[in-house]
Amino acid sequence: MKKLTQAIILGALGLGAQHVHAATISKSLCVGSLSKTLYGTSTTGKSVTFWGYSDCGGGGMGGMGGGTATVPGPIMEIGVNDTLNISFSPMGMMTMEGAPYNGHTIHLHGADVQTMEDGVPETNGNMVMGDTYTWTPSAGHEGSYMYHCHVHTVKHLEMGMYSAIIVRPKNASGAFLNQLNANTTTAYDYSQNYILSTVDPAYHTASGDSVVFADYNPSYFLMTGKEGKSTAAPAMTLAAAKGKKVAFRLVGLHSTNATFQIKNGSGVAQPFTVYIRDGRTLPTAKTVTSLDLSPGQRADLITTLPTTSSTWYPQITYKKLRANTDGTYPAYATVYGKVTF
Amino acid sequence: MYKSFALIGLTLTLFGVTESAFAATQNFTLYINAGTLPITGNGGATLNVWGYGTTAVPVVPAPQLTVNEGDTVNITVINNHNINHNFIIKNVTTDTSAIAAGASKNYSFTAPAAGSYVYSDTLDSNVNREMGLYGAMIVKPTDGSQTAWIGGPAYDHENVWVVSEMDKPRWNDIAAAGFVVDTATYKPNYFMINGLGGFDAMMDMDTMIMGTLNTKSLVRIVNAGQFSHSLHFHGNHFQVLSINGVRQPTPFEQWDTINVPPMSTAEVLYSINQTGHYPMHVHTAQAEGANGVYLNGAATMIDMQ
Repeated sequence: MKKLTQAIILGALGLGAQHVHAATISKSLCVGSLSKTLYGTSTTGKSVTFWGYSDCGGGGMGGMGGGTATVPGPIMEIGVNDTLNISFSPMGMMTMEGAPYNGHTIHLHGADVQTMEDGVPETNGNMVMGDTYTWTPSAGHEGSYMYHCHVHTVKHLEMGMYSAIIVRPKNASGAFLNQLNANTTTAYDYSQNYILSTVDPAYHTASGDSVVFADYNPSYFLMTGKEGKSTAAPAMTLAAAKGKKVAFRLVGLHSTNATFQIKNGSGVAQPFTVYIRDGRTLPTAKTVTSLDLSPGQRADLITTLPTTSSTWYPQITYKKLRANTDGTYPAYATVYGKVTF
Repeated sequence: MYKSFALIGLTLTLFGVTESAFAATQNFTLYINAGTLPITGNGGATLNVWGYGTTAVPVVPAPQLTVNEGDTVNITVINNHNINHNFIIKNVTTDTSAIAAGASKNYSFTAPAAGSYVYSDTLDSNVNREMGLYGAMIVKPTDGSQTAWIGGPAYDHENVWVVSEMDKPRWNDIAAAGFVVDTATYKPNYFMINGLGGFDAMMDMDTMIMGTLNTKSLVRIVNAGQFSHSLHFHGNHFQVLSINGVRQPTPFEQWDTINVPPMSTAEVLYSINQTGHYPMHVHTAQAEGANGVYLNGAATMIDMQ
């Protein structure tokens, strides 16, 4: 549903015009099915069916049938004060559950939009067969957000219906700034989106109010859709220059505990500075060597690469929700990224 | 259902003071018994529980103990159940010894700093706690103000959320029948806020965040379960006031999702800054359901009017 955007209100008041180059960004999203071959601790791959969002804007007719679905779905970047208009067409028999969990929505997680934009069928009138979603992030709301289906979330999110929305600062000409927020101390040279997710294949074949959904046993662990089980086969790679700054945007679409670290080739955890959590700049940036990210959370952080060539391994360790008797949380698996410089 | 039984310190109202503490004496009696906890609606079941109660009927979570900072608190716990139990307010009381079946024990202490605390039975490798022996103690500031602590952030409404889970087939059914639980395996199939499945918690006036525009709700989150719980609020971000009793520096950080590990607490301030209806739910897959039935798990509503 459309709403009065803040940009319109500001414009009517004649405010904010001196520095705001508010753009309207229109996206058409559809849903499709796909399969991934995942390995986990096995040497034999298993084909797991996913549902994913696709960018179907090129297909005309609201994009019916266009685009190729991916997991995660298209990552959308918008500027502060821009208006994001998503036109969503969820039709497709391959990606539907039966009633009452038929259809799909888009929940703009962290956007704090009006109820009618929130994508929760239980509160917004059950428009699960197609809708529009509008959001205009305000200044100060730079950072990482996520979107996911909010129909029978326990199933549909697990199926892969998720991705990230990155809200970026802009300069006076309306171009994106390579910094996390309006403060130049958050400037970076490179950025990577690490989307955390976990896969319990039993959830992918069950449907409805099945007892399967009472017990979560993930066997595959992803970083932006890939397994990345070792430093030799990382899920994400970046070739950077020495001494430069790399921003990581962590987006928590997993269903377990998780810890992010950046380790050097000797396994020593390197410092990074967290500037933003959940789309809000921290009053005091925090420099740490480890950050826990729970399901639904996001963090935007920067690390500075050394001035001598080497390789670092940013990594996510997925952990159980229940601690051992000694209070530590047993790990399921670690998924690796790689930065060479 | 969740009930509080705060005793009002008469000295405060008699003298009408705000600046100094007239510590009152607060006396509570809790009885330990076996009972049941019904989770209503689809997926629901009647769970066998053990609990603390102010009568012979135990409640889960246990009665909320509400006191003022500096009060003298006397708690008598009477064990009318057939096995050993104990009573510990985490970070407050230290006596971990058992109360034998049929026996009782007195606990006296001076109410600590304003905030949210969790109490439980710590015996038998979490079995006694899992069975329902847990609750919250809320300590209010001495000046009678609606603030998280003296000089701290003010609020208009207050919610206490005791979050927990139960594994009916492997823990509750086994322990209630007098058998030994295999504590290595824990696969909870019921997830609750204030002992309620989502279908009830989304309509429970004490659990829901309800408020009119420009009011603020102080939400006290107590995780009495064994899983970490990641609570996501729709509609607005919240300010993180305290984590496990540690008051956070100002200005407070603003998040929309907070992880509350087992046996820890968090206090957040949620501002009603628009109108609408929004869910608040744990963002972890299986925690949203009752034995797999969607939304009858750890979820409630935010009603902004």
